[in-house]
Parts: sequence; structure tokens; C-alpha cells
Amino acid sequence: MTAITRRTLGALALTTALAGFALPSAAADKINVGILSLTSHSPSIIAEAKGYFDAQDIDVEFVSFQAAQPMAVAIASGDVDFGMTAISGGLISLADKGVIKVIGGALQETPEIDGQKILASKAAFDAGVKTPADLKDHSFGITTTGSSFHYMAHKIADKEGFDRSEIHVKPLQKVPAIIASLKSGQIDAWSIVPNIAGALTKGPEVVEIGKISDYVDDYQVTTVFTSTKNATEKKDLVERFLAGLSEGISDYNAALVDKTMSEEDTAAIVGMIHKYVYSDQPLDKADPRIRAGAMRINEGAALSVASVEDQLEWFKSEGLVPDGVTMEKLVDTSFVETR
Amino acid sequence: MSHDATHEQPATDAATANESGQRPVPFRGGGFVHRSLGPVAPLVFLAILAVWELGSRSGFISPIALPAPSEAFGALVDLFQTGMLWKHLGASLYRLVVGWTLGSLLGIAVGLFIGLFSLARAGLLPLVSALFPVPKIALLPLFIIWFGIGEGSKVATILFGTFFPTVIATYGGVDNVDRNLIRMGQSFGMSWLSIVRKIILPGAMPAILSGFRISASIAIVLLVAAEMIGAEFGVGAYILMAGALFALDQLIAGVALLSLIGLIIAWLIGKLEKRLLSWRT
Repeated sequence: MTAITRRTLGALALTTALAGFALPSAAADKINVGILSLTSHSPSIIAEAKGYFDAQDIDVEFVSFQAAQPMAVAIASGDVDFGMTAISGGLISLADKGVIKVIGGALQETPEIDGQKILASKAAFDAGVKTPADLKDHSFGITTTGSSFHYMAHKIADKEGFDRSEIHVKPLQKVPAIIASLKSGQIDAWSIVPNIAGALTKGPEVVEIGKISDYVDDYQVTTVFTSTKNATEKKDLVERFLAGLSEGISDYNAALVDKTMSEEDTAAIVGMIHKYVYSDQPLDKADPRIRAGAMRINEGAALSVASVEDQLEWFKSEGLVPDGVTMEKLVDTSFVETR
Repeated sequence: MSHDATHEQPATDAATANESGQRPVPFRGGGFVHRSLGPVAPLVFLAILAVWELGSRSGFISPIALPAPSEAFGALVDLFQTGMLWKHLGASLYRLVVGWTLGSLLGIAVGLFIGLFSLARAGLLPLVSALFPVPKIALLPLFIIWFGIGEGSKVATILFGTFFPTVIATYGGVDNVDRNLIRMGQSFGMSWLSIVRKIILPGAMPAILSGFRISASIAIVLLVAAEMIGAEFGVGAYILMAGALFALDQLIAGVALLSLIGLIIAWLIGKLEKRLLSWRT
């Protein structure tokens, strides 16, 4: 008796499972998109919530990461299809091995929008670090060697005309560790996106001393990337993903950067973002944090090739990536507008 | 292999015994003794390396999954040629030696207190048990505030990591000293200090030294964690940098360096054991 009941149950479970899977899998491509819990990842979240991906026949599943590096590795291994992060040494190394490609641009420094800020600890500020030019012989916090922070520190040194080794970069692995070190005055300076910078400079321990946009021209902060396999064999899927993402980008810019969207629609978009960003806080607390310091994301995921090339050259000059890496290996420019 | 008994030796005795009509008694001793087979360890090591290299060359092992040993060796050669090897090793060995020495000395002192005095045992043992399982890596942010991002926090991480196992090994060793020897010392009228110095300390030494083996390995494990914070040089910092850049050849080269340090330390402790424990034979 029990055996029959079990078998019937099993059959029931199987048919429901089949019914559940059969419908979407027949209709849409199922892809995984890697995100970090940062507002700069909002376009994918908006595109998914507003059904822009569904319209492109793509079924998106989000995979959350704590850092950019594991996301790049997950894309290389095929566990994740698309991601959006800063160009790091790890990303370029993987591109050199022929497994991932940059296919578009995302966050970019633009003159009219507040960009990344250069911060100094109060102790260093009082000791004479009033502008980025004073950073010579001072310490600068970075997450890891070859991170975007490392690049920005060296760009400041280049432009201010002192040697790169005269700005002492301190690898501290994680953003919270950098914040703790900056607040307690154990490092002298750091650069970070405006929403984090704004929260820090409100306190007495941290002072703003400059802007990154003065040191890096048209800085392409983050890029969209995918596996080489997707970029070569599933061009159609990549194009549809970018089309869906582009609509999400337009909404994000309209709502949070240009603020041309009605308050009601903006609130709806903040609500969507809140599901993944600052989700550990109640909406009314997270709302201002999500809205603060939004930076422009390129319409149509357009890519600033010159900026990417500059970053690649920096990685090579520091010996952080193999010499043989070329722009062709790193970037596939066939999908989006380049500038 | 090492546990086989000896058979050949009694053959001649048996022949003479049979003539007088007595049952031969085979020699049953021997065996259960480890013979040192020198070339086996390097052979196993080389065989694994050869299989790995072949797998990488033939493409069976993808270069993303694991770099060929020859590439990792190339990274080591690069390190050596640029002179960075000594900078990294120097920085790491300094942290290891200072952290481990201080941790071990403090550990032995506290361990002896716990082993010898009931008051210390009642007061400190629960504290040790409570603090030993706390992952030192979790305390890193606190260590930054307490000890700064310089050498302080790195040495402290290793110190705390080696302190607790040494305490436990030491008081365990003191507890296991043969009571009869202590009673004998007492009946010969030895002073308390003499008993501690001449009976308890040497008696606890085997346990303390095997504690050293464990704490030295823990120190090496913690080196990578210690060098997460603001380290420009050091083998751990090198490994972390290689990970961040996804430079797998450098990653494996760094890990090989840590293994090498581990092997050398184990060899040194082996030498120390031979010297300090010569009374056992």
C-alpha cells in the first residue's frame, strides 16, 4: 500500500516538475547574471523587474557575488553568463587565456555628474594633505593589487608628476577594511564612488580633497562582460541581453541620474533596486542611499575604447598582466557603439 | 612493507635442533619497526609532478583549472631573478619567527602555570578553551585598530594563532609526566624546583615539541591571513596578489614556497627532538 502511494506521489511530483520547467524552457533562453549589491548593478535588476529581458525572450536568474574577482572566474567557468564590474587584473588575465570578453561599457565618469571622490583622513589633512598633489609620500588604500583603486592611485601620481612608487598603496582586501583604516587614520587617502564618499565625509574623520575625473579622462569605470563562448557562438543571445539591459540603463539614468522621471516611477524603480541592494535595511532607510550619488551608466552600454586601452596599458606597464594581451583579446567591439 | 617479520635467520638453528628430536622454535621477534626508505618520498613526489605536467601538456588539465608545474616553476625563477623572492621570504620569515617565538614562549609559560598550579588551572583553562576556537581571521578588523596595519597586526595574528595550541600541548604534557618519577624525586628529598626542572620539564618535552609541529603549521596557515592587511611584501601577500590577478602560475609558486617553509620547519623541529629527547633512548 505504501509503495503505491509513494509511487503515485513520485509521479505527481515528476509531472508538476515537468510542467513547471517545460513552459519557460521551451519559450526563453535561461541565463545567469552576476551582480554585486551595489547601485551600479541596478540596470539588470530594473530590466528584469520591468520585463525587458522577458521581451527579449530571456529568462534571467541573478547570482550574487561579494567581489568582482569571483564573478569573473564564474563567467570563465560558465556558471554565470553575464557580469558587470571594473576592469581588474584578474579579468584581463582571464581574457588573455581566451575565456572572457568585454562586450560593452557601463559606469563612466562624465564631467556634468558627480563622480568618484578622492578622500583623505582628517589626520593626514591636518598634516598637510589638502589636494591630491600633496599625496606624494603618503599612503593610499586599495583592495587588491591590480584593482581599480590601484589604477586611480597611480593615475594621480602620473598627473601630479611624482613617481608611482612615491604614493604608497596599501592592499587591505575589502572596502570595509579600507573604511576602518581611513577613519582611524592608518591610511592617508582613498578614492571611492560618490555615495560611499558622501556618507564618509559627513563624519569628522574624513575630508574630500579632489575628484577622480580630474585625473582620468572619460574613465570607463565598469564594463559588461561575458564568456568568449557566448560572444562567438551565441551572438544573438548577447545582442538580446544587451538590448534588454540598455532599456534598464535608460530607466536608471532617467530615474536616478538625470531625474527626468516622475517621482512615482522613480519610487517604483528604487523599490525594484531595493530587492537586491541595501536589502538588509527597511525601504525608507535604503531609499536615500540608493538615490544618492548615482553615476551615469552609458546609454546602449556604449564603450569608451580609449579608456579601456589606457587601463590595459597601465596594467602592462606595472607588469600585472602578461605582455601579450591585446585589445582584440580583451574587447569584442561588435556589439555596442564605441567612442 | 615496514611491518614484515624476519624469516630467514632461524633456518640453520632449525636444522641442528631436528637431529636431537626437538621441535624447532622459530624466532618470532622483529617486525613492527619502521625502516627508513629514503628514495620513496621523492619518487612519489616526482611521479605526481610528471602526471600533472603530462596532463597539462596534453590539454587534459585545462590551464584555467590548474597551470602546469613547469609554469609555476617559471614563476619561481622570475621571483628569484628579480630578487623579489628574498624580499617576500624575508618579510614573511620575520613575521613567522617573531609571532611564533613569542606565541610559543607565552604558551609554554601559561601552559606550565596551568599544569603546575591548581589556581591557574581553575582560572585560565576555561579562558583558553573559550578563546582557542575563535577564528583569528574574524578578529582581523579589531587587530587593525589595536595593532595598526603595520607589522603589529600581522605578528599579533600569528602570535594568537600559535599561543593556544602551545598552552594545550604544554599542560597536557605536564599532566602526563610519570607520577612514579615525581614520587621518587620526592622520596629522595628533591626540592620542588628541582622536580620541575629535572623531571616535569623533560617529561613534558615530547608533548611540547609535538605541539610545536602543530603550532608552526598553524602559523604558516595564518601567514596568508595576516598578510591580507596592508602587506606590500611577504609570501602570503604574493599569493593574495596572484589570486587577485588570476595569475595561477604565481599562485602555485607561492603555495609551493609555503610548503617548503613547512618542510624546513618540520625538519628543524625533528633535529630539536633528537637533541632534547635523547634521554628517551
